[in-house]
Amino acid sequence: MQATSKKLQFINLKNITILFVIVYFSIFLIYPIYKAFAGSLHDWNPMIDQYDFVGLDNFKNVLSDKLFWKSMSNTVFFTTFSVFFRIVCGLGLALLIHSKLTRARSFFQGLFYMPTITPIVAVSFVWTWMFNPQFGLINKVFNLDINWLNDTKYALPAIILMTIWKDFGYAAVIFLGGLMSLPEEVFEASNIDGATGWQRFRYITWPLLKPTTLFVAITSLITYFQAYIQILIMTEGGPGTSTYVISYLIYDEAFVNYNFGSASAMSILLFIVIGILTILMFKVTKEREKTI
Amino acid sequence: MNEKNKAKVMIYNLFLILLALVTIVPFIWMFLSSFAPNSEIVKIGGSFFPTPTTLDNYMNIQEKFDFMRMFLNSLLISIVITAIVIYTSALIGFIFAKFNFRGKSLLFGVILSTMMLPWAVTIIPKYEMMEVFGWMNSYKSLIIPAMTSGFGIYMFRQAIEQISDEMMEAARIDGASDFFIFHRIILPMSRNTISSLAIFQFLWCWEDFLWPYLMINDDSKQLLSVGLRLFNGQYDTDYGGLFAATSISIIPVVVIYLIFQKQFIAGVATGSGK
Repeated sequence: MQATSKKLQFINLKNITILFVIVYFSIFLIYPIYKAFAGSLHDWNPMIDQYDFVGLDNFKNVLSDKLFWKSMSNTVFFTTFSVFFRIVCGLGLALLIHSKLTRARSFFQGLFYMPTITPIVAVSFVWTWMFNPQFGLINKVFNLDINWLNDTKYALPAIILMTIWKDFGYAAVIFLGGLMSLPEEVFEASNIDGATGWQRFRYITWPLLKPTTLFVAITSLITYFQAYIQILIMTEGGPGTSTYVISYLIYDEAFVNYNFGSASAMSILLFIVIGILTILMFKVTKEREKTI
Repeated sequence: MNEKNKAKVMIYNLFLILLALVTIVPFIWMFLSSFAPNSEIVKIGGSFFPTPTTLDNYMNIQEKFDFMRMFLNSLLISIVITAIVIYTSALIGFIFAKFNFRGKSLLFGVILSTMMLPWAVTIIPKYEMMEVFGWMNSYKSLIIPAMTSGFGIYMFRQAIEQISDEMMEAARIDGASDFFIFHRIILPMSRNTISSLAIFQFLWCWEDFLWPYLMINDDSKQLLSVGLRLFNGQYDTDYGGLFAATSISIIPVVVIYLIFQKQFIAGVATGSGK
């Protein structure tokens, strides 16, 4: 009798949920991670049922592949500029909306959020046409004659431009949240001391916003290192290899060439790079805070 | 001083309006173009915005391509996944916020790590898994692997931790079970979090491209984001049709946003960024 009631006690919301979490994450997270590591050590092609152990060969091949390094440098270029301008534009916009000098704040807040809530596939198509040399709006407005997406010089910058356009509004909303949570008294005190707008930003707002900036920087970094849909839709890596980024290369290697082994090796390298960069960013900001 | 302030107000507002124009013009251009005939869109030396004169583009895409079907497929899948994710995130977030058990921080660490893990690491093994399970070309492959969200669990844990323990204790003394407490107290109090997650999750499902592209082979089961690309591949010079299809694909996310916007802005302002 007591045994059954103990059993019944064990079946409660808490334990069922924990059991679900363990089972679910084991199947759809732990196992796939293990399998990706294992797969990276194999010559793995599902089309011809191949799964042969080759040790670290995939890593050796990937690291000596020119396209891999080209994709890496493109990814770093893409990520650096996208993160930087997303933060600059987002913060600038947040300061504009937050300042007491502007009007219709909630209207603008909603408006700047539009690109963020628009599906990236749709945005990529719209911007492909915006950059069209024949009828695109960009050339018309600025009176240019550039074949944006078919020119090795302009293709990647064009994609960066579109990415910043899509994402800076979201950064602005987060910065605005950060600004609104700052204590009002600090600003009032500095007003009395006669600090200029720039001084106030440099010595008060910017240091206080550091956690928010770090949050935006890290989440952007992780996102942009993995961005590929805009590439897939707008250029498919071209012209030549000028817009190959690492995630697009992985997609290409896995689901166009079906080299699951080397694609897994690349994905693990990508994981390591993202991990190192995230830790570095945390460290750098902590060090700086100590010196201040 | 007054003059200087006036100038400042003007410059600030001008900047804001300029940024607003940059943000909104591509949408207007796309929308107007979707009502213009192809000849008008590609006309060399035409004006900035093509003149909207026709509804043909919208009629044609449905005839050429079963566009509505894919639209409804996407809507169904996105709503189902979003509802499931909100429920599981709230429940798991509640357990992590209000209960203690062995291995709690380890398990939470695993859940958090899903946010940092590149999609590229797990997509190949998941692809193989779906093949082994025989779920390819079925909606099981879209829904079941997407039933939880590390981001959602994290958001709900943060929010539910703010809810006072006394309220739960009072309910317990009245004989309420955890099941009751979760559904009747915690869920209704998490409205802001539910709204934020609804917007994000719906958008993520709606715009997801690669997974449905890999899983679904049947055109009649296909989702809209993949459909857009297929359409573009088959009719790549029918710009009017493409503009129309893209315009329609944006509408549901805007509607979801407008529904949840108020709580969402409140949620962002208090929740993340800390």
